Amino acid sequence: MANERKRGRGPLRLGVLGVLLIGCLLLTAIVGALALGDDDDTTPDAGNMIVYGLTLNPSGFDPHIHQSSELGIPFYSLYDTLVYRHPQTMEFVPGLAERWEMAEDGLSWTFNLKQNVRFHDGTAFNAAAVAANLDRIMDPDLGSQKARVLLDAYTGYEIVDPYTITLRLSQPYAPLLDVLSQVYLGIASPAALQANTNNSYQWHQVGTGPYKLDEFVPGSFIRLVRNEEYDWGPVFYAPVTDGSLDTIEFRFYIDPATRSLALESGELQVVGELLPTDAELLAGNVEVTVYQVPVPGTPQQFFFNTRHAPLDNVTVRQALIYGTNRTEIIDAVYQGRSPIAHGPLTSTVLHYDPEVEAMYPFDLDQARALLASQGLQDLDNNGILEFEGEPLELTMVFSSWNQMPDVAQLIQSQWRELGIDVELIQVPDFPSLRQRVRDDDYDVIAFYDFSVEPSLLNRFYLSGAVNNWSGLSDPQLDQTLYEAMRQTDPAARATLYSAAQQRIMEQAVVLPIREYVNLVGVSSDLDGVVFSAQGWWPLLRNFQYSG
Amino acid sequence: MRRNPRVAVALALGVLIALLSVLAPLLATHDPRATSPQAQLQSPSREHLLGTDLLGRDVYSRVLYGGRRTFGVALLTALITLGPGLLIGAMAGFAGGWIDTLLMTLLDALLAVPPLVLALALVTLLGSGSVQIAVAVGIAGIPPYGRVTRAAVLEARSRPFVEAARAIGARPAGILTRHILPTIAPTLLAFAGVTLSWAILNSAALIFLGFGGDISAPDWGVMLADGRQAFRTAPWVALAPGVALSATVLAINWLAESGARD
Amino acid sequence: MLPFLARRAVMALAVVWLAASAAFFALRWAPGDALDATMARAGASEDQIAAQRAALGLDQPLPVQYARYWLDVARGRWGVSLVNGQPVTEVIAQNVRPTLTLALAALGIALALGVSLGVIDGLERPAGLRWAAGGLAALALAAPVYWTATLAIYALTVAVALFPGVGAEGPRAVLLPALVLGFHTAGSIARVTAASVRDAARGDFVRTARAKGLPDRDVVDHILRVGLLPVVSVAALQAGFLLGGTVITEMIFVRRGLGQVLLTAVTNRDYPVVQGLVVLSALVYTALNALADVLYQRLDPRTRREG
Repeated sequence: MANERKRGRGPLRLGVLGVLLIGCLLLTAIVGALALGDDDDTTPDAGNMIVYGLTLNPSGFDPHIHQSSELGIPFYSLYDTLVYRHPQTMEFVPGLAERWEMAEDGLSWTFNLKQNVRFHDGTAFNAAAVAANLDRIMDPDLGSQKARVLLDAYTGYEIVDPYTITLRLSQPYAPLLDVLSQVYLGIASPAALQANTNNSYQWHQVGTGPYKLDEFVPGSFIRLVRNEEYDWGPVFYAPVTDGSLDTIEFRFYIDPATRSLALESGELQVVGELLPTDAELLAGNVEVTVYQVPVPGTPQQFFFNTRHAPLDNVTVRQALIYGTNRTEIIDAVYQGRSPIAHGPLTSTVLHYDPEVEAMYPFDLDQARALLASQGLQDLDNNGILEFEGEPLELTMVFSSWNQMPDVAQLIQSQWRELGIDVELIQVPDFPSLRQRVRDDDYDVIAFYDFSVEPSLLNRFYLSGAVNNWSGLSDPQLDQTLYEAMRQTDPAARATLYSAAQQRIMEQAVVLPIREYVNLVGVSSDLDGVVFSAQGWWPLLRNFQYSG
Repeated sequence: MRRNPRVAVALALGVLIALLSVLAPLLATHDPRATSPQAQLQSPSREHLLGTDLLGRDVYSRVLYGGRRTFGVALLTALITLGPGLLIGAMAGFAGGWIDTLLMTLLDALLAVPPLVLALALVTLLGSGSVQIAVAVGIAGIPPYGRVTRAAVLEARSRPFVEAARAIGARPAGILTRHILPTIAPTLLAFAGVTLSWAILNSAALIFLGFGGDISAPDWGVMLADGRQAFRTAPWVALAPGVALSATVLAINWLAESGARD
Repeated sequence: MLPFLARRAVMALAVVWLAASAAFFALRWAPGDALDATMARAGASEDQIAAQRAALGLDQPLPVQYARYWLDVARGRWGVSLVNGQPVTEVIAQNVRPTLTLALAALGIALALGVSLGVIDGLERPAGLRWAAGGLAALALAAPVYWTATLAIYALTVAVALFPGVGAEGPRAVLLPALVLGFHTAGSIARVTAASVRDAARGDFVRTARAKGLPDRDVVDHILRVGLLPVVSVAALQAGFLLGGTVITEMIFVRRGLGQVLLTAVTNRDYPVVQGLVVLSALVYTALNALADVLYQRLDPRTRREG
């Protein structure tokens, strides 16, 4: 026995604990080596630098290909667009195009381009460059998800001279200038496009904007540095001062609860989509300023599935809108930091019609009366109305973004008062959401998108449109929307869109909840914090450290 | 045999929590699902013993009802994990040879599939919900439990008394059940406790990632995840379910461990 | 040794094949696909989506896609991300290091903490600390990671700036996440250690040794060497888990890594990336388990007798 014991102890003379200790030290050494080697090389001379928090990691960052609004946050400042929307007046101002003119028949637009503009790689900007970009976007192999969809009626171009280009349309297309003002139509260097594949370009983006791409590590960070040569910006870009930003690093803060913590610990200087409760908390913190930035587009809303009874009955749908207390929802979930939405568009969208605001005031009695008038009664007195002999239950589908689950739970409580049971289905991601749409497996579903241009309505309300999840098919509305898209006279468009908005609300196919307001936390050291007309995208050129 | 104070505490705790859960309808002061947005995020008071959450629901009542769901999920997960895990691990460890190789290969393959992917697949087949999460977590828990069982069986198999039993010609099944299992029972029970704890916490994690299902139901995992939003202005919203969850897991672990010793 | 290695290699291949296949079908059962995550959201027409789907080969019948996948793998082509076209190998290479750092650091802390707590608890000495050890272990097991993480971030980066804040870069940034993750992993290690050590302490050898008057230190040493054996398995298990289970930690602490890559890929139904990760995961697990088995054989003082 003694021999075995000695033999067994041979290599382990130090005893078990000794071995463990050595093991731990070894492990620590390895970890230390890994961690130290993991140090990302930060630019030695970063100058005035901020860290900007992105809130979701979209599937890709190529503005010509991908569609997330998030990508515009870094890349709106990397590219210039032909025209810009002035963030305050909403008018179109010159960008890369000095002036433009629409032909009499509305079937073509001619753009006179700025001269002496250079891309970040030194190559010259000209009509050929614009052409190359348009070719790229329209190329089916590229698989453009938004840019090409936005271009819609565009059919081709004609290079008139080195600094003049004409765009042709299949029909008059009013949204064209708006489309050209969005980051998805940012003008990239043809040389850079050539030098990369369709997929690799996003890591090597080259534009003409006030900032250029320094380094891009997917999922980790994006670094922009100031373009010293930039002097051809739109009128609302501020001149460079000592406080201007030299370096901007974007990182991904997907978990909402830690965004404010990162701001307070000083790790971040700017981050959007703060939790409303955190915004309340930060109100008392002098080191952080919270900006409330409205984002135009559709409101945060639910669509009614008109293919499923009893939602095929317009009066029932109207009753549900009357019976939803939006004020209560906004106060509780968004701490009152949003206007109530009343129609299919928010009040900051072009040609918004304020008449919709009077259409559905919160009125429980009216709601109950309307439901009763359609034969829905609670015969067995269990608190739930009966529909075709069964208790009335609706399925409400939504994803976890933007506090929708809390909104849905409150609506569930509110509609219970009307005698309607709501089954809440939270889906984890967009493909799951879309699958439910394909399976027609929902009664009420949450979906929304953003734009300054009211033609946004087309995607949701035209018969057969791919995102028409309510199943609405109204030829009169279709007519109005098509006409409004072709009509270039603003007054005429306004009239048409008024009609459209009111018609949509009369049909009661959508339950608008709130106008989207982005709560952006910014270090109080920063001044000049302005966002683009489209709402999401910061005008980084104007940000500066206060003296 | 020394009476372990831990057992007493664990037993008391377990019984208390079980009792409170069962008697929830009697003890609750409010409907756990009733929202009251004007009364959101109130601190504990006479009317709301543990305050209210973001939507004005009574935290105390929700914690009471939440226990039922947690126990239900834990039990279901336990059944799914412990049964097959024990069986597979014991067979592999005892039989050895190609059976061992085959079973371990299957278990490793299951282990290699990240729980997230597994959960997504199961949620697709069965829909979202706490039952489905329990199944996903349960299945994901089989490989670890199987492995630990196998390791324990291997270790016990080489002991002298087992050799002796084999020498006198006892049947393998007999050896397994009468000699090995009782010996390794302490380790297995301890790990069962660990598995149960993992199950509860992994379910909470899947809920956090969005595979939840019925989000308005009182559920300690859901309450904890939601409670993060307001934890600085209203810490009780998360503290209450957190304490409940921790106490339950504690009780489970200590009971499992002490049960092993008796 | 050689037949052992050969057997292990075959097992590894089998595991990889099974796991990747499971993931393959699991993803395709899941609702929607990569194009839903991207094109449909922007309002692309059904035609455009269908065309893209055909171009990517996603409209082929499943067995065909399955066969194509393995043919490509045989040629060393692990595919490119359906979503941004980056080669899968590149995606993994760029993100493996931070995850490894975090996982190893957390494992180190977990082992140190877990074994200490477990040994104190199991040996029931030093007497006073026993309750604390048990309590701490229980606590580590009883709270979800995302909760402890949030509390830790608030307490240790905002209230008291002891650690770098969320999203920081540099070597120190791994400390807090490793601490949180390690603390939780320590819980299960402590539990198993305690039970196993306690069990070993009651073994015949110990009784005999004590009766014979063997120095206490040797007795304890033997107890530990027997009692800590299961820890080897649990540690291997946990190590594997850590590599796969850093998803939430990376998300909350804003750290780059494979966990976050997995989460994004699953959300976007980016099949090639998920499968690449599953294959990697399978290889790691097999390797770790083989290592655990080898260590087991070499360390068990009783089995060594058999040579």
